[in-house]
Amino acid sequence: MINRNLAKVLSFRYKIIALVLVLLAAGLVLLPKYEKHEGINPKDLLSNAISPERYISTDELADKIVNQDPSFLLIDVRDEKSFKKHALPDAINIPLEKLLDEESEGYLNQDEYDIILYSNDNFYADQAWIICNRLAYKNHRVLKGGVNKWFTTIINPKIPTENMPKVAFDLYSFRKAASMYFGVAYPEQAQATQNTTKKTTKKRVTLKKKKKMAAEGGC
Amino acid sequence: MKELEKTQRLSIASVLVILVVLIGLISYKKPKHIYDINSKNTLEKVVSKDYFIGLDEIDNPNYILIDIRNQNEFDKGSLKNAINIYAPELLNKSNSKVFKKIKKSNKTIILYGAKPDETIAPFMLLHQLGYENCKILTVEISYFENKLITKNCLIENSKFDINAFIKESVKKASLKP
Repeated sequence: MINRNLAKVLSFRYKIIALVLVLLAAGLVLLPKYEKHEGINPKDLLSNAISPERYISTDELADKIVNQDPSFLLIDVRDEKSFKKHALPDAINIPLEKLLDEESEGYLNQDEYDIILYSNDNFYADQAWIICNRLAYKNHRVLKGGVNKWFTTIINPKIPTENMPKVAFDLYSFRKAASMYFGVAYPEQAQATQNTTKKTTKKRVTLKKKKKMAAEGGC
Repeated sequence: MKELEKTQRLSIASVLVILVVLIGLISYKKPKHIYDINSKNTLEKVVSKDYFIGLDEIDNPNYILIDIRNQNEFDKGSLKNAINIYAPELLNKSNSKVFKKIKKSNKTIILYGAKPDETIAPFMLLHQLGYENCKILTVEISYFENKLITKNCLIENSKFDINAFIKESVKKASLKP
C-alpha cells in the first residue's frame, strides 16, 4: 500500500522538482531590494565627502575666470531669485531641487568640463556635491565659502596692514586687479572710462598671475 | 535499464544544482552598509530644510547629541551629554551599533561640529543609510580663554549685495576726480 502511494508520488517527481525550481526562481524576485542601493559604496562616499580635496578657493576661481579658462562650468545651486539678483560670470543656474532633473544631468554628468558648484556659503553646494558623488559624477568641485567669501576676498579685498609679509601685498594686488575685472571701480583710476579700465586691468591680472605662480613654485 | 539511466542523470543534475546554490551562498557577501534611501528622496530631504535645529531647542530627552569632531577637540570641551563619534569613523562597527541602537529607541540624532559645514557629510550619509531622524545643530563652536563658546548661526545666509557694492564703488570713483 505504502509502496503504491510512494510510486504514485514518485511518478510526479520531475514535475515536483520543476515546481521547486520555479518557486526558487520566483523567490529571487522577492529577495531584498537593492535597487535603492544605487551609486558608489557608502564607505567610499564617506571618505570622499570628508576630504577637503573638492574645494577650490575663490582666488583660484578668479584666476580661472580672468584668464578665460575654457575648461570649467560654473553651476549656481541657489534658487532662481538669488541667481537673477547676482551670479558669478557665466554661471548656469541649477537650483538644488532640480539637481536630478534630466536636463541637469547633461551638465553635471559629463567628462568634458570641470564642474564648479557654488551657493551663498558652501553648504548647499556641498550637499549637491555629495549627491552627485554618490552617483559617480566626475570632476566636480565646490567653491569654498561660496558667494560670501567671493565678496570678502575678490570683490572687496581687505587692504593688508604694513606689518604683513610681501605675500599678503601680492595677493591683495591680485585680488584688487581681479575685482576691477569684475566691475569694481577704485577712486585712483577714475579718469579712465570703465571700458579701458577693464582692458588694462585684464593685462595686469595676467602679469600678477605669473608672479604668483613663481612664488608658488618656490615654495 | 532506462529508468536507471534517468535516475543517474537526475542525481547528477541535482548535485550540480546543489553545488551551484552552495557556491552562490558562500560567495555571496552582504554589503555591510546599504543605502536605504535613493538619491531622489535624499535630494527631497535636503531641499526640505526641516533638519536644522537651534541651540535653544536641544534640551529634549529624545535627542542624542553627537559630536563629530576628533577626540582631542571633544576632550577640550563639548556640549552636555554629547557622544563623540569622529566623522571619518562614522561607519566603524561600534559606531554603527550606536546608531542602530538610537534608531531602535526612536530617538533623534543631533549632529554638530565646529561649524555646520562639517556635519553635511555625516548627515547626508546617515540619512542615505536610512537613519531618517537625524538633524543638524546650527552652531559654531570656538574657544575663548579655554572656554567653549557656542554660537547659533544662519545657514546659507546671503551676507553681501555684490551688485550694490559694485555700483557704489563706481559712483564713489566717479565722484572723486
